[in-house]
Amino acid sequence: MASSHDADTAGITRRKSLAAIAGAGALGLAGCTQSGGSDGGSSLSGPINIAGSSTVFPLMSAVMEDFAEEYPEIDPDISSTGSGGGFSNFFCTGDTDFNNASRPIQPEEEELCAENGVEYVELIAATDALTVVVNPDADWIDSLTTDELAQIWRADPVQTWDEVRDEFPNEEINRFGAADTSGTYDYFIEAILGEEGHTSDYQATEQDNSIANGVAGDEYAIGYFGFAYYFQNPDQLKALGIDDGDGPVEPSLETASSGEYTPLSRPLFTYPSIESLGEEHIAEFARYFVEQTTNEDLVAGDVGYVPATEETQEEQMGKLEDAIEQAQE
Amino acid sequence: MATENPNADGFGEVSRVRGILFEYLSFGASVFGLVALGVLLVYVAIDAFDLANASPEWLLTYFLTLVVPFLAFCLYSANDRDVTRRALVALGGGLVAVAVLFSAIEALLVPIPRLNWQLAYLFVVAAPVTAYLAYVGSRGRLGAVGFGLLGRLVGGVAVGLAVGTLFLVLDALLWFLAYTIGVLPAVGLYALGRVRSSPRARTAAAPVGLVGLTAAVFLRDVVATYPSDLIIYLWTIAIPVAAAGAFLVAGRRGRTAGAVVGGVPLAAATAGGFLAAGAGLPAPTVLLAIVLTGVPTAVYVSRVVDGGEGLAGLGLPLLLAAGAIAGALIVEALGVPAPNPWLDASFLTQAPSRTPEQAGLYPAIVGSVIIIAMVAVLSFALGVGTSVFLEEYTPESGALGTLTRILQVNIANLAAVPSVVYGLLGLGLFANLLGLGIGTAVTAALTLSLLILPITIISAQEAIRSVPDDLRRGSDAMGATRWQTTKNVVLPEAMPGILTGTILALGRAIGETAPLIMIGAATTVFRAPDSLFSRFSAMPMQIYTWAGFPQADFRYGVVAAGVITLLIILVGMNGTAILLRNRAERGS
Repeated sequence: MASSHDADTAGITRRKSLAAIAGAGALGLAGCTQSGGSDGGSSLSGPINIAGSSTVFPLMSAVMEDFAEEYPEIDPDISSTGSGGGFSNFFCTGDTDFNNASRPIQPEEEELCAENGVEYVELIAATDALTVVVNPDADWIDSLTTDELAQIWRADPVQTWDEVRDEFPNEEINRFGAADTSGTYDYFIEAILGEEGHTSDYQATEQDNSIANGVAGDEYAIGYFGFAYYFQNPDQLKALGIDDGDGPVEPSLETASSGEYTPLSRPLFTYPSIESLGEEHIAEFARYFVEQTTNEDLVAGDVGYVPATEETQEEQMGKLEDAIEQAQE
Repeated sequence: MATENPNADGFGEVSRVRGILFEYLSFGASVFGLVALGVLLVYVAIDAFDLANASPEWLLTYFLTLVVPFLAFCLYSANDRDVTRRALVALGGGLVAVAVLFSAIEALLVPIPRLNWQLAYLFVVAAPVTAYLAYVGSRGRLGAVGFGLLGRLVGGVAVGLAVGTLFLVLDALLWFLAYTIGVLPAVGLYALGRVRSSPRARTAAAPVGLVGLTAAVFLRDVVATYPSDLIIYLWTIAIPVAAAGAFLVAGRRGRTAGAVVGGVPLAAATAGGFLAAGAGLPAPTVLLAIVLTGVPTAVYVSRVVDGGEGLAGLGLPLLLAAGAIAGALIVEALGVPAPNPWLDASFLTQAPSRTPEQAGLYPAIVGSVIIIAMVAVLSFALGVGTSVFLEEYTPESGALGTLTRILQVNIANLAAVPSVVYGLLGLGLFANLLGLGIGTAVTAALTLSLLILPITIISAQEAIRSVPDDLRRGSDAMGATRWQTTKNVVLPEAMPGILTGTILALGRAIGETAPLIMIGAATTVFRAPDSLFSRFSAMPMQIYTWAGFPQADFRYGVVAAGVITLLIILVGMNGTAILLRNRAERGS
C-alpha cells in the first residue's frame, strides 16, 4: 500500500514534471521561431533605382544616405552613368525610378521615353557653377570672356594661347573636358558655344579627377567641370573668372546663387518617373529630396553646390505633389 | 694518336658574355614587375593604415612586442645557427643601410613623399625577412604546428564569415527544409550502408535525397512556422560540423575525447550566437565563425597532442595575441600618438557615406563575395564540362574533328575579347532577353562566368591533355568504361592543373569593372543584397567611384582601404583554392 502510494505520487510528479518541461520547452522554442512568409507591411520598404549624371551623383547619394538611415527597410541603389547614358539606357526603358541630369532632358530622349510610355516630372535639385580651371602656375591668366572661351572650345578651335589674347604665351592649348555622354558637356555647348559645337580635340572623361590631374600637370592646359571638385580642392587648381560683358566674375557659392556668375551657373535636375511615384516609398523619397534641396549644410557644405531657394523648393514641391497625385489615382 | 697541338680544333673557347647578359636580363625582367607592384602596394598600405602619421615610437613598440617575438619563434623553430646569423645580419645591417641610403637620397636627389626611413626599413627589410623566416620556421616541427593552428584559426573565421555572407542571399528556410528532409536522410542512409555494408541502402541514398529536396521546395511556402535563423544554422551547420569533428577524433582517441572536441566548440558557438543576438550583432555569422574555427582547431590540437611533437608551437597564436595586447597597453600607457587607419572595423561593416570618415564598403564586399562564389561554381562546372567533352569525347579526325578544331580556335579567340563586349552580351542576353534584371547579382555572375569561361576551358584542357595517355590505356585495359576512366583516372590527375587555371580566372573576375558597368550594376548601394535578384554593387565599382570623389580623403585614404580589402579577399580566395589544389596534388 505504501509502495502503491509512493508509485502514485511518483507518477504524478513525473507527469507534472514532464508537463512543466514541455511547457518550458514550448515557451523557449516559441521565442526561437519565425514565420515562413515574407514580412511585408513595415513602414516604408522596397527598392529605389537611380541612375544618371555623375555631377548630381554626390548630391543624390548624400540625400539617400540620410533617407536610408531613417528608413532602413528601403533598398536604394545609385549609378553614376552620365545624364544621357542614364536617360537612354535605363530611365526611358523603364528600368530606373529616377534619372539625375545636369541639363534638361533632350528632345530625342523625350521621344524615347514617350515611345516606351515613361512619363516623368522635372525637379530642380540644386545649382552648380560650371568652373573653368587652369594650372595654378599659370599666373599670366586670371579670367576669360565668354567669346575667348568659345574660341578655345569651339569645333574649329584656336591652337595656341596667343591667338586667344595677344599677351598670352605662344604655347599650345591642351584641353581637358567632359565626355559627350555628360550633361556638363551639353550645358557647356548650350551656354558658351551655341551653334558652333564642341571641339573634338580634347581629353574627354566622365571623371572630374582626371580633368583635375590633367590640368594640374600642365601649365598650358585648360579644363572645365562642376563646381564641387574645385570647392573641395581650391589649392590644386586655379579657377578663372568668367566675363559675360560685366567684368570677370569668379565662381563661388555666392556668385552662383546671386545670379552674377553667368552664363555658367546651371540648374541640376532629377527626373522621377510618374509611374514609380505611385509607390509610397518612392513618393516619400522624392518629397524628402525636394525638402533637402534647401539644406545648406548638406548641399553646400558636404557636396559643394548652391542650395535651392525657398521659392524654388515650394514650386518643385507643388509639381511633385501634382505628379504623385496623378500617379496614385 | 693523342693531339699534339693544343690549339687544334675541338675544345675552343666560347664567349660566356651573352649567357651572363641573358641571365641578368631575365632577372631584371622578373624583378621589374614585382618591384613596381611592390612600390604601389607599399603606398596603398601606407594610405590605408595611415602609416604616414605613425610615430617612430608607435612603430618601435609594435615591432618589439609583435614582430620580434614572432621572429624569435621562427628562429627557435628553424633551430639553425646559419639562419639565425643571417637574419640578425640582415635586420641589423638593413637598419643601417636603409637609414643611410634613405637620408642620402633625400638629401642629394629627391625628397621621397610620404615615407620616412623607419617605414622604408619596415617594408624593405623587416617584411621580407619576416616572410623568409616564417617560411624557414614553418619547416621546423614547432613552426609547422604553430602555423597550422594559426591557419585554422584565421581560415575558420574567414570561412565562417564567407558562409554567413552567402546565407544573406540564400533562403535559409528552404535550406533548413532541404537539409532536414533531403540531405540528412540521404547522408544517414549512405552512412548506414557503409557501416552495415549494405549496397541497397547506399544506392537508395541518392533518390531519397532527391525526393527530399523536391519535397522541400514544395513545402517551403506550405510550412508556416520555422525555427529562428540561429537555430537553423545551429541545426544544419554547427551540429554536423561538430559531429564530424567528434567522429574524426573519436575514431582515434575514444569517445570522451571526441565528445570534448565536438562539444566544446559547439557549446561556445551556441553561447556566442545567443550572446551576439542579445548584443544586436549578426548572430548566425558569429555562430558559424566560432564553430568553423573551433572544430578544426580542436581536431588539430588533439592530433598534435597525440603526436606529441612540437607542442610548444601551439603557443604561437597566444604569443601574437599577447604581443598585440602588450603593444596596445604600452602605447596607451606612454600616450604615443597612434595612426588612425582608414581600414578599420567600421569601414568593413558600414554602408558608403558622403563623409570619408564614415564611408564603408560592407554592401559592396557582400556583393563581390556573392558574385564571385557563383562565378566560381558556374565557371568551374561549365569549364570542366566543356574541356572534358572536347578532350575526351570528340573525335580527332573526320568532319567532326574539323568542327572541334574550329571550336577550339574560337574558344581561344574568345579569351581575347574585351570585357566590355561581354558586358554588352550580359546586358542583351541575361538582363533583357532572359529577364534576369538589369544590375542584378545573378546577371553579373552569369556575365562574369562567360567572361572567364574561355580561360577556364583552355587551362582545363591543357591539364587534361597533360594526363599521360598510358594511364587512359591502362584503365581501358582493365575494362573500365570511358566514364569510369574519366572519373577515376583523368579528372583526379588533371585536377591540380584545372584548379590553377580556375584560380587565375577568378582573380580576373573579382576585379572586373567594365562588364559590371555595362549590365547596369549600381555604383552605390546602402544595403547588402538579400537575394540573387537584388541590385548590388561590387568592390571595384565602389572603389572606382570613390576615386572620382572631389575630397582628397576619399581619393587617397578610402580608396586605399578599399584596394587593400579587395586584395585581402582575393588572397583569401586564392589561398583556399591553392589549399584545395595542394590537397588534390597529394591525393593523386
